[in-house]
Amino acid sequence: MSVAAGKVYAAEMVPVSFCDFISEPASVIFFSGCNFDCGYCQNWRLKKQLDEALTPISVISDALARNKLISACKVTGGEPLLQLEPLIEIGKFAKSIGLKFGIDTNGSLPDRLEQVLPILDLVSLDIKAPFDRHAYSKVTCIPSPDLDSIKSSIRLAVRSSAYLDIRMVIIPGYNDDLSMMGTIDSELRSAGFSAKAESGMACITIVEFLPENAHSQLLRTVPNPSVELLRNVASKFAFKNVRISHRALSGRLRQD
Amino acid sequence: MTEVIQNGKMPPPVRRSDGVIVPFTKDLIVKSLVKETQLVSVLYGENPLTEQEAMMIASEVEEEITHMQLKMLSGPLIREIVNVKLLEHGFAKHRNVYTRVGMPLYDVYQIDNSEGYESKENANLQANPETFHKKKADFLSKESYLLMIPSHIADAHLRGDIHLHDLEYWGTRPFCQDWDLRYFFYYGLMPDGTGTHTSVAGPAKHAEVAILHAAKVLGAAQTNFAGGQGFFNFTVFMAPYLKDFDDRKLHQTAQMFLYEMTQLYVARGGQPVFSSIQIESGVPKVWQNAPVVSHGKKWTDLRYGDLEDVVHRFSIALLDEYLEGDALKKMFNFPKPEVVQRSRYWNDKNFEDVMMRAAELSAKFGSTYYDNLIPSYRGGEDGVSCFQCCAYSFSEDGNSESFQKKINFEDGAHFSMGGMQVVTLNLPRIAYKSGGDETRMFETLQDTMELAKEALLLKDKITIRQFERGLVPFASQRPKGAPPAVDIHNLSLTMGFVGMNELVEYMTGYQIHEDPSAQKLALKTLIMMDKIRKSFAEATGKKFSIARTPAESAAQRFAVADLIHYPKFARELVKGDLETSLPLLESTKDVPVFYTNGAHVNVAAAVPLDQRLDIEQKFFPILKGGDIFHVWLGEANPDPEALLKLNRKLATDSWVGYWSHTKDITMCRSCGYVGGGMSSRCPVCGSESVKSFSRITGYYQDVSSWNAAKRQELKERYRVRIGK
Repeated sequence: MSVAAGKVYAAEMVPVSFCDFISEPASVIFFSGCNFDCGYCQNWRLKKQLDEALTPISVISDALARNKLISACKVTGGEPLLQLEPLIEIGKFAKSIGLKFGIDTNGSLPDRLEQVLPILDLVSLDIKAPFDRHAYSKVTCIPSPDLDSIKSSIRLAVRSSAYLDIRMVIIPGYNDDLSMMGTIDSELRSAGFSAKAESGMACITIVEFLPENAHSQLLRTVPNPSVELLRNVASKFAFKNVRISHRALSGRLRQD
Repeated sequence: MTEVIQNGKMPPPVRRSDGVIVPFTKDLIVKSLVKETQLVSVLYGENPLTEQEAMMIASEVEEEITHMQLKMLSGPLIREIVNVKLLEHGFAKHRNVYTRVGMPLYDVYQIDNSEGYESKENANLQANPETFHKKKADFLSKESYLLMIPSHIADAHLRGDIHLHDLEYWGTRPFCQDWDLRYFFYYGLMPDGTGTHTSVAGPAKHAEVAILHAAKVLGAAQTNFAGGQGFFNFTVFMAPYLKDFDDRKLHQTAQMFLYEMTQLYVARGGQPVFSSIQIESGVPKVWQNAPVVSHGKKWTDLRYGDLEDVVHRFSIALLDEYLEGDALKKMFNFPKPEVVQRSRYWNDKNFEDVMMRAAELSAKFGSTYYDNLIPSYRGGEDGVSCFQCCAYSFSEDGNSESFQKKINFEDGAHFSMGGMQVVTLNLPRIAYKSGGDETRMFETLQDTMELAKEALLLKDKITIRQFERGLVPFASQRPKGAPPAVDIHNLSLTMGFVGMNELVEYMTGYQIHEDPSAQKLALKTLIMMDKIRKSFAEATGKKFSIARTPAESAAQRFAVADLIHYPKFARELVKGDLETSLPLLESTKDVPVFYTNGAHVNVAAAVPLDQRLDIEQKFFPILKGGDIFHVWLGEANPDPEALLKLNRKLATDSWVGYWSHTKDITMCRSCGYVGGGMSSRCPVCGSESVKSFSRITGYYQDVSSWNAAKRQELKERYRVRIGK
């Protein structure tokens, strides 16, 4: 995973997005490379670090500097933390020109997260499934996922000054067992998530799975979850700021 | 039918279209020729046929018919033979006025089956009995006007040099109007304009009646106008009726209006009125001290400024109801909400709630339009201005003599902003004709604009004549001796244009987004157009303006016309799917090719939003007659707060005078699901009975009713994401 100096594997950039950074118009940079293999992934084309994705960091910073419509920059992927140095470089640059800076992460790399946290305004942390080795493995396609790392990442993010968005994409039959949501709720609770949410610095977003964009052929045949199901999942989290995101609820993220 | 004995030497009897059978009489031909060719002098200023000329034609016709050995004659058949003789003798113009207009029976049959003639010209027209009737009437009208308009203008239209919009209404209606509600709140309502065919209502005394009157004003007005109908300053003028209402009643009133405007399904062949309302969050500076006009009187002790809180709460109620949608939770596509942007609304925290709801409405349905009065070219806080219907803009300068009178409603003086007619220029063709030489291009531009001017002045003259004869009665009404509702002499004569992008592409080799030289030429061309416009205005005293045309069908028509007349150039430059279109052209003109609208950047260009803004905002200050900046949101569920921040930037830190966010929406007819994105099956119940909606040009409509070029454009719209 070593990267040539001043370059980064980043396949795509969305110059202006209104749906990737909470409350801010943002540029979104897609880093290539991922250590998970989720079947529902919409960005599976970014899984591998292909040579053609190798981009000078200056190209990205120029695009950010030129863009007068944005107030934030977000790096997603892939897993952004796999390319820590370029990530920090882009983050520092973004901050230097007055942009908020955030990342999406799967939470599997807490040590690296810790290094970048001081410059983050937003951490969107994916929780793939209830905290159960089997369930997590089923979604991520990793034989033995390290749940402790993910839990550490949550603790780090909760303690940081960044806004924390815990995101969970609900795939019917894969990670929607309501009886197991308690494993997440109790983990968040013991990490101190409640107080952070109370202070308006954290939220949970329960997200609709979109079969038509899924990587895995098998998952493309799974129906998308209903608003009702997302509501039921959301109801298992007794925090402030639990939101659901579904195409049928466009406009406002409904608060339960 | 009576058996008629054939007589070899005499012409057979005539079955006339008024239902009787009469013997053939040559004299009748002479009489009708002399009478009907009088129109040659009325329309073209040339001589009608003399009695002798008519005699000569009639004799030849008689001889011809005698030789034909027919059993029966008909009026139309004789007329055709007369026409042939007129042409043979070089009386082309006399033939024009003597001819019948109509359409082949086959085409009529097609229309009744929702196929054929212009079945997709206007996406607002649903297939229904009223529409079929309108199509036939439209065909007849268009064909007639093309004969009545001087042939050099008609030919320019047919060739595709220019496009005369709403040709079916050429001789009868002005284009569009933004009404001053105070007029009806003072004088009451006469839907027919005279009070002879409809009942006459006194001025509204209750809020519900005021809202119904407002809806009926637009409905009645639509029968007199070809295009959009709207109310500027709607929330302010409604306020006196709402001042004692609590929020619940305000919401109820707002909901009533939205339903009225989307369910009065009666306009122009069965469609809703093409309507818009300007939503002010507060009371604009010029209205603060103006006396309230409502309940049939001018208040001595009430100023609009006193009603600011009501205006504010009513604007919220309206936006809440737009957000709620109809009983199926789908959007209200009319009246288009034009949310006014002023510095005060962004600086004063009090108005944040309106701006937030406007952004939420954009995020949910994309239906908000932002009418930005902050850039100085809009006339600032000292004038009255509005964007209306298809993104045309009208304004009145605060320095004009009558301005204060109108503000104070002195002797019924009021605002009347609107358009008389739009003529659109085919810019790429101007480039082709010049052969790439800039000087010649500007000369051709001037010539084409002269032609458009001539057409506009002609329309102006005809319409004013109709108006003065009382033939546009709702517009010309004068209740209790009031000034006419519409100031017919003050309507805009608008020149639209299509394909600035392709003009500069032909001239410089680059599209607008590809090179600064292309942008420079686009700007230079616009400045030249504006200069020519000014010279027209000064010479005639008329309100000429330059605008981006919505060009729902013109962008396609020009591209098709150029593929026929300038194939060598047009094949290189038209946008869309040329490969599919070329073989189809033999059988249909509804093919997926188009020119880029107005001075917009090519919809398919991989240009980030910020750069698109940089380019397109420069054109706004010149296009005072109207322009729009489209933010395509594509499929995503945008964050309203992020949109709010974008809106603030566009409002306070750009030259964009008018914008909207376009979101694609799918609606399921089985389960009622409404959501973002275009899906072929419902993501909730799996049904394939879904309809997709998007903004076609200046309004939202079902995608399946769009023409082929617009559907292609939708496919090609660049959706923000880029690869590298």
